[in-house]
Amino acid sequence: MRSNRQQSIRRKGFSNRLGWLLSLLAVLLVFSVTPVFADMGMGGAEQRIAPIGRVHIAGQDFVPAADSATSEAEAPELIAAPRTSRKDYPNIGVSSRAVVWILAQLHLFFGALVLAVPLFVLVIELVGLMTGDERYDSMAHEFMKISLTGFSITAIFGGSLALALFLLYPDFMGYMMHVFGAQWLVYAGLFFLESFFLYTYYYGWNAMRYGNLKWVHLSLGLLLNGAGMTIMVMANSWATFMMAPSGVNEVGAVIGNIWEVMKGPLWNPINLHRFIANIGFGGAVVGAYAAYKFLSTKDMEKRAHYDWMGYTSNFIAILAFLPLPFAGYWLMAEIYAYSQQMGITAMGGILAWLFIVQAVLIGTILLAGNYYLWAGMSRTEGSKRYKPFIGFIAFVLVVCFLTWVTPHTLMLSASEIAQLGGSHHHILGPLGIMPAKNIAVNLMLIVTFLSFQLYRRSDKVATVSWAPIGNALMVAIYVVAIVNIIFLGVYFGYFTNTVYKVGSSVAQVSSTLVVIIAGIVIDSLMFKNAKTLPSHWGRIPDRAQYALFALPIAFTWLMGLMGYVRSSVKTHWHVYTVMKDNSPDNFIPTIGYAGNMITIVTVLFLLFVLFMFWVASLSGTKQAKPETVTEGGVA
Amino acid sequence: MSEENKIGGAALLVIWIAALAISLVAFYGLDHLIMNMQGLPLNADLTPAG
Repeated sequence: MRSNRQQSIRRKGFSNRLGWLLSLLAVLLVFSVTPVFADMGMGGAEQRIAPIGRVHIAGQDFVPAADSATSEAEAPELIAAPRTSRKDYPNIGVSSRAVVWILAQLHLFFGALVLAVPLFVLVIELVGLMTGDERYDSMAHEFMKISLTGFSITAIFGGSLALALFLLYPDFMGYMMHVFGAQWLVYAGLFFLESFFLYTYYYGWNAMRYGNLKWVHLSLGLLLNGAGMTIMVMANSWATFMMAPSGVNEVGAVIGNIWEVMKGPLWNPINLHRFIANIGFGGAVVGAYAAYKFLSTKDMEKRAHYDWMGYTSNFIAILAFLPLPFAGYWLMAEIYAYSQQMGITAMGGILAWLFIVQAVLIGTILLAGNYYLWAGMSRTEGSKRYKPFIGFIAFVLVVCFLTWVTPHTLMLSASEIAQLGGSHHHILGPLGIMPAKNIAVNLMLIVTFLSFQLYRRSDKVATVSWAPIGNALMVAIYVVAIVNIIFLGVYFGYFTNTVYKVGSSVAQVSSTLVVIIAGIVIDSLMFKNAKTLPSHWGRIPDRAQYALFALPIAFTWLMGLMGYVRSSVKTHWHVYTVMKDNSPDNFIPTIGYAGNMITIVTVLFLLFVLFMFWVASLSGTKQAKPETVTEGGVA
Repeated sequence: MSEENKIGGAALLVIWIAALAISLVAFYGLDHLIMNMQGLPLNADLTPAG
């Protein structure tokens, strides 16, 4: 009865509520950009920008512009970035950079987690409402429960990081405060808003579970995500300003408004990359929670629940991961476009070796994600049809993985070079350059999508009359896309000029996306009203859960590693080309040192995550009332 | 699978050849489109025209 009533309410008021939700979204977006417009004002940019050349450098005499018609009293004073010396950096006995590194990375890990989880929780909650299946709602609520402690931990590390930065890098932080001005207050205000939406969203879950109140609850989730995303893009603008400053002149004096400072050339590539990566990372971490709960219970009902939860987490993690390399390509392309020197520092110098380590970690993520899907096929009898494909997928994954990890230039001794006949291996050498890597990455993503598709199909039998045509078309798209990706990589990569080589990588990416989009469209249409085969949640080998543990470890390490690369490309600058770093740590740390630092931070993060899981489990544990002991025995 | 059994062998062969042909044309067009959009035109045989 309740279900019928709900469906009726949904039908009657769905369009109104959707409109309401969209209106709220619009309000949210306006709210997000209001500070930007408020700061810009009508013609405000022109009023705020003083003539270039009228710059006051701290510690030096004021130099008026020679051609300025404005009097000194009327024109606003421009303040250049500080020029620091070694004595401007307090010495606390340990490396300031190491302290900030650990705090910043832990803050970023937890920040990524708590920004990502509400995003997919909102989608899962909406799916639950649309399908009327309350299991989705319960799962979404449980995901939120896990991440709740993470919000406090994020704030603690964020506060500690801010204190450490002000203590250890006072001039740099003074400059950043000067450049971003009132934006810091907006940022702080957003924390209050996010906390308000978070607590009302989480604690109001059961109070707003049905009817119109459910839409109020979903709106709170939307506002929570709006506040979270705005916080993320604001914080990203600080990082990208340090890499590619905008809105300032050559000595770092602010000549633009806050919007011009924020929207540097790397801002949007970083925004997109972090947005996608956060979702993948969040999915991987909550997947580990599901695996932990699955392994720690013998209750079949609970195992079925956590198996489903683990599957959903893996689905989120890998689905978000598929487009991530493309977002990474865009970021690197923009870095090269901004400064070729910076691009070469990242991918052609000492840091280039880290991209080989990156390949190992991405290979680990894809192998673990695929293995989990293959193991999960045992949940249904219908999967037997697709078992032969697993060998093919595994073969492609391993060959591509080995191609990706093949380095181009080896670190060799003189005798080794003599033995090899040169610095490059005569057969494996060509596999070390980008065309080979591009082929490998795209094929790995395509076969990972194939694993997903086969898994999704394993408990269904198509009933539409055109199923043979759909199948033939799907197979043909896979075959031709794979041939096209190899052709583009080999022909344009090795036999044409560099411009065509780079351009062909976009066509390769497009081929991969065509496969993914075609697969989703064809399967959605072909398996509509399909016959469903029984699926047994909980019927999965225990060893598959270890794949879910591997995912967050590899994701965390990978994020730490690439964060080190992103930060190091600034070399000896706090703010690239504008404010020099004159601290004792103004050099790119060695790979070995960085490896140790990243490992320490990863281990610390995983320990905190275990604490988070424990706290989440604790809330559902109720101690039995102790039996009263009386004289002569138990009462 | 059961639907495929209802279709004759010859018809099935035609379906597969047609699917392959459509995909080949689609990806051939895609290569031209994407490279052209980047200002990198191709000849009919997919060699660089620039």
